[in-house]
Amino acid sequence: MMIHEEICVGCGRCQPYCPTAAIRYDGIKSRIDPDVCYECSTCLRAAHCPVDAIAESPDVYDYPRALRRYFSDPSATHAATGIQGRGTEESKTNDVTLRVKHGEVGVAIEIGRPTLGMSIADIQKITRAIARAGVHKIEPHNPIHSMIANEETGDLKPEMLGERVLSAIIEINVKRDELRGILRTLKEVAREVDSVFCVDACTIVEPGLKIPEEVLESIRAEGFTWRPNAKVNMGLGRAWETPEKQGC
Amino acid sequence: MTHSLHREGSLESLEKEYVLFIYPARGFNYKGSAPKVRHLVELLYQAGPVNMIPTSLRRNMYSGVTNEEILDSITVEGTRVYSVFNDREKLKKALILIQEANEGISIMVSGVTDRVRELAAELGITPHMVNLSLGIHGNTDRLPPADIREFTTMCGHGVVSPYLVKDMIRRVKTGKVSAFDGSVLLAEPCTCGIYNPFRSAELLREKMPLYTVDRW
Repeated sequence: MMIHEEICVGCGRCQPYCPTAAIRYDGIKSRIDPDVCYECSTCLRAAHCPVDAIAESPDVYDYPRALRRYFSDPSATHAATGIQGRGTEESKTNDVTLRVKHGEVGVAIEIGRPTLGMSIADIQKITRAIARAGVHKIEPHNPIHSMIANEETGDLKPEMLGERVLSAIIEINVKRDELRGILRTLKEVAREVDSVFCVDACTIVEPGLKIPEEVLESIRAEGFTWRPNAKVNMGLGRAWETPEKQGC
Repeated sequence: MTHSLHREGSLESLEKEYVLFIYPARGFNYKGSAPKVRHLVELLYQAGPVNMIPTSLRRNMYSGVTNEEILDSITVEGTRVYSVFNDREKLKKALILIQEANEGISIMVSGVTDRVRELAAELGITPHMVNLSLGIHGNTDRLPPADIREFTTMCGHGVVSPYLVKDMIRRVKTGKVSAFDGSVLLAEPCTCGIYNPFRSAELLREKMPLYTVDRW
């Protein structure tokens, strides 16, 4: 994002809207630091500049800077997936897709959340750690997948490493007995990154919304806890498109 | 959206709100989903959500958009709907209507798991999957204070800025804006429509005494 210096009246109204504090006074005018800006366009969309001085920067869709927009602006459609959002439908449609099957756990690593964002160099630390732990299959419909240069090592495309994004989601599926190992890996890599990530675990539940004890035991064993609030797929969906037409 | 399971706050506060998603599955029930989603949104209106956005419009309920405009926008196959309720009984009503309609579109509810379990049992619904939050990891020293995160984590994508929250606390405290109007302003950056302005107003009133009126 950018602010037209000749239009800006220096009211500062836009400044607190930036989640990453990229907008600061430069003299008497507000200015966006392009290195810090995630291109989330929150300032343009919500700050209501009284003189319309805020605009998209001319290089916002230039590769690799465009990654900032695709991963940071919730209303942007990702070029790699053709859908809005940083992840896939994951647990939200699992009652229809069965992407995470019985006996599996879907693990999502929500990069940069809440609010801080993360450099792609730090994201690579996580993808490498996951690869070292023996997980080489990141969900192919997730935009992170298109960033991977080498699935065996978890290396991302080198030209991307100088960029940063407000959020991204790494999605993997593991067998229930592999959950402990991946949680241990995440605990270790958490010490290496300069930002934060949230960890989610999705699993098919038993009748009565009973969470499988094997999953809970793995979580406890690695010193993780789970929040009292969770997201529940109510099991009310069904498929009607024929399998040969399915895109997933 | 995944982040709706990481909402922070006291159990008492979290128990008051539930996020409900209507989510067609790409390749499985996208085709023909638009009229079904529209019907489900009509039913949601009967239950009374406190915020809602369809992906076909991306404008929340406080943006000046009318209910008819929201409904009329749902013509695109695969339109998803994000909504939030601040009352268990309203959510229950929504689920009863959705269950009766039997449109076959996936429904997610984010909330305190025990309360969702109770509701499912009361309605005879058999939930399929749970997505658990295992917390925040990494350099957590860089995070804004937990007080502020109670606001910012109401937006799944992290675009409600902690600086805006602090600025709004200042503006409410100095009488420039009411707690509810300030919360509507805080809800505006959130394009997923699950920022709950009623809970936010309660939080603003609760946190205000803890903060000074210095500029953010």
